[in-house]
Amino acid sequence: MLKNIILNIIAISLCNLAIAQSVSSDVKEESNIYEQIYDAPINVVGKGQVSFQELYNQKPLLLALVFTRCSGVCNPFLFQLKENLALKTNDKSFNVLVLSFDPRDNMTDMSLLAQRFELENNEQWFFGTTNSIEELNQSINFYPIWDSIKNQYDHDALLIGINNQGYITKKLIGVRQGHDLDLLIASVNNIFSPTYRLPNKNMLFSCFNYDPKTGENKLGLGLLFIALPAVLTVLLLILISYLVKRKEPKNKEIF
Amino acid sequence: MESIKIKKITSVWIITVLLLFVASIVLGILMRLNQGEVISQSPITFYSNMTTHGLTMIGIWFVAGMAAVNYLMQRYVKTSYTANVFALVLTVVGVVLFWASTFVGKFHAAWTFLYPLPFKDMGSETWATILFLISLTVFGIGWLIWSVSLMAQILKKYSISQSFAWQHLTKNPTVETPPFILITMVTLVGVIACLITAVVLLVLFYAEYFSGGSFVNDALLMKNLTYFFGHTIANEMLYLGLAVIYELFAEVSGRPKWKTTWYVALAWNLSLVFILTAFFHHLYMDFVQPEGLQIVGQLASYLASLPAAGVTVFSIFIAVYRTKIKWSLTNLLFFMGIAGWVIGGLGAVIDSTISNNIVLHNTLWVPAHFHTYNAMGNVLFSLGFFYWFSTQFTAYFHNKKFTNSILALLLIGGTGFLLAFYVGGAESIPRRYSTYPAELSVGVNLATIGAVFATIYLIAILMFFFNITKRCLKILSSTS
Repeated sequence: MLKNIILNIIAISLCNLAIAQSVSSDVKEESNIYEQIYDAPINVVGKGQVSFQELYNQKPLLLALVFTRCSGVCNPFLFQLKENLALKTNDKSFNVLVLSFDPRDNMTDMSLLAQRFELENNEQWFFGTTNSIEELNQSINFYPIWDSIKNQYDHDALLIGINNQGYITKKLIGVRQGHDLDLLIASVNNIFSPTYRLPNKNMLFSCFNYDPKTGENKLGLGLLFIALPAVLTVLLLILISYLVKRKEPKNKEIF
Repeated sequence: MESIKIKKITSVWIITVLLLFVASIVLGILMRLNQGEVISQSPITFYSNMTTHGLTMIGIWFVAGMAAVNYLMQRYVKTSYTANVFALVLTVVGVVLFWASTFVGKFHAAWTFLYPLPFKDMGSETWATILFLISLTVFGIGWLIWSVSLMAQILKKYSISQSFAWQHLTKNPTVETPPFILITMVTLVGVIACLITAVVLLVLFYAEYFSGGSFVNDALLMKNLTYFFGHTIANEMLYLGLAVIYELFAEVSGRPKWKTTWYVALAWNLSLVFILTAFFHHLYMDFVQPEGLQIVGQLASYLASLPAAGVTVFSIFIAVYRTKIKWSLTNLLFFMGIAGWVIGGLGAVIDSTISNNIVLHNTLWVPAHFHTYNAMGNVLFSLGFFYWFSTQFTAYFHNKKFTNSILALLLIGGTGFLLAFYVGGAESIPRRYSTYPAELSVGVNLATIGAVFATIYLIAILMFFFNITKRCLKILSSTS
């Protein structure tokens, strides 16, 4: 219990750091979506070497990129992910792969990391390394930068959704809350998630105005614009008819 | 004097339309050859060509229908020559600006210019988007004034209720509204509504363009407006062609002229309502659109095809069934055009059914059905009129060999070209791909086959072009 409280405090205190990292980084959540991830060979703790394809064919994957010597965001990021997923006890529709992007990390390091988070016996979680991290990073547009002064990687907390065909369906940068994770899980399972634009003072004529508090869409001014042409046409028809009626006699032709 | 002027300007319209038609077909063939990997175009060139092909085709067959209707309307009411010339001048200016935006400026957001695509930096010149919007404005002004002018001329002779033939819904109508006037009026109202929509749409585009980011548009509103304009004008131009058929088919076939009956009046009035609401079927994939509008879209798509198509097909069938018809190239083109319109319409109804649209959305099925009711429908309506018009004022003898050759080439070329699209659609080949990946290799072969048959269709159009243009030039040079 005490350990959880301490880790929570650490997680919250480092959230700002994570957000700052995501803001300063060039990594974008929109990049590489619906592109295939590189089929790297993965050394998985307790399973040996498997191909990435074997893993995602088995079940869709949530891929978390970390390194074990990280003094920054990696630990709170993994902790938050574990906490959020623990709330979804019945959702076994995906697996989680925690992969190191640091070539110095070996299987022992990853095994210790799994133990530290008490996930070594959780069948939904895999911990591993790869010899093809550069190719993998390139396929997901993730480029951690080595800082020789701090002896650390400058990197984003990045969680990637991969469906069972190996396509990147969604990315989450930073330590995120449960709702964002729900969207990610839906995307790897190819379930459509509606998204709504939030109210914007520069957008005057929305068809609908989404209220994030109630989750409801209210009719907007823009809908009037759709009806406007038909109304104007009818008015024009009546106006022209009135104007020409004053000048010309009507047709009285009998057939 | 007035009749000479209207003859001459109609001749200019015909030559202009046919010239632009040939150029647009060539662009279409180049696109299919690129998809078939016979030639290699850059994606920007491909999409610039696609944009030019699409809007030019829509524009020319709209003005072709308007020119034909304007010419034939002289039989009932006096029309404005000035409005006609004004529309011609603005159409030519609009085409020059539009082609400059695509061929020189490389604007390539497709003729539907769906928001926010025109504002995305996709490799075109910075001035291309605004030039494209200006060209649309020029078209819109010319066509709106022309349409309003024609509507005003009808309303000078007929009251609103007479022009819509409402008196035919009662038992003993005392005033007759000719079918031509009824259909033209219904169509003009639709045309004016969709051109006003284009005005609203363009104002919103300009507002965002010139606001420097302080005003942004709602994508859903822009999509609704785009398809209100785009879908409606593409359908209304078909109705202009049908007005011509109602006026000329019986006449050139040596049959009594068609009259307006209660069911003709009802059908066309209902068509107006349905055609203005059918565009919602373009927004099935937009989940935020209320479900009620999606249902309206599907129902209107079904119902729009029934009154006008049902009544027209019935009328044509009755006119030719076990009846001695004086067949000529004009009424044969009308007859073939009706068949193409019905087949394309069925393809459209299949696609507009929500459960089918999930599969067919944005596949080659879409260009398949709209090319059917245009290339083998509406185009043939207008070609029939062009041929009839050109033979009215010049020495003419019926050349059976020419008629048969044209019809055979149109039929073979058109059918093969369209089948390549339909089969592609059934195979789920996506539309608007400049090249196909290896997984869609069947699309490559179909594109090549389509290009070959489109070339056969082009040969028929070129024969037509030389035949008709020669006679139209004679009309232009004559003094009577």
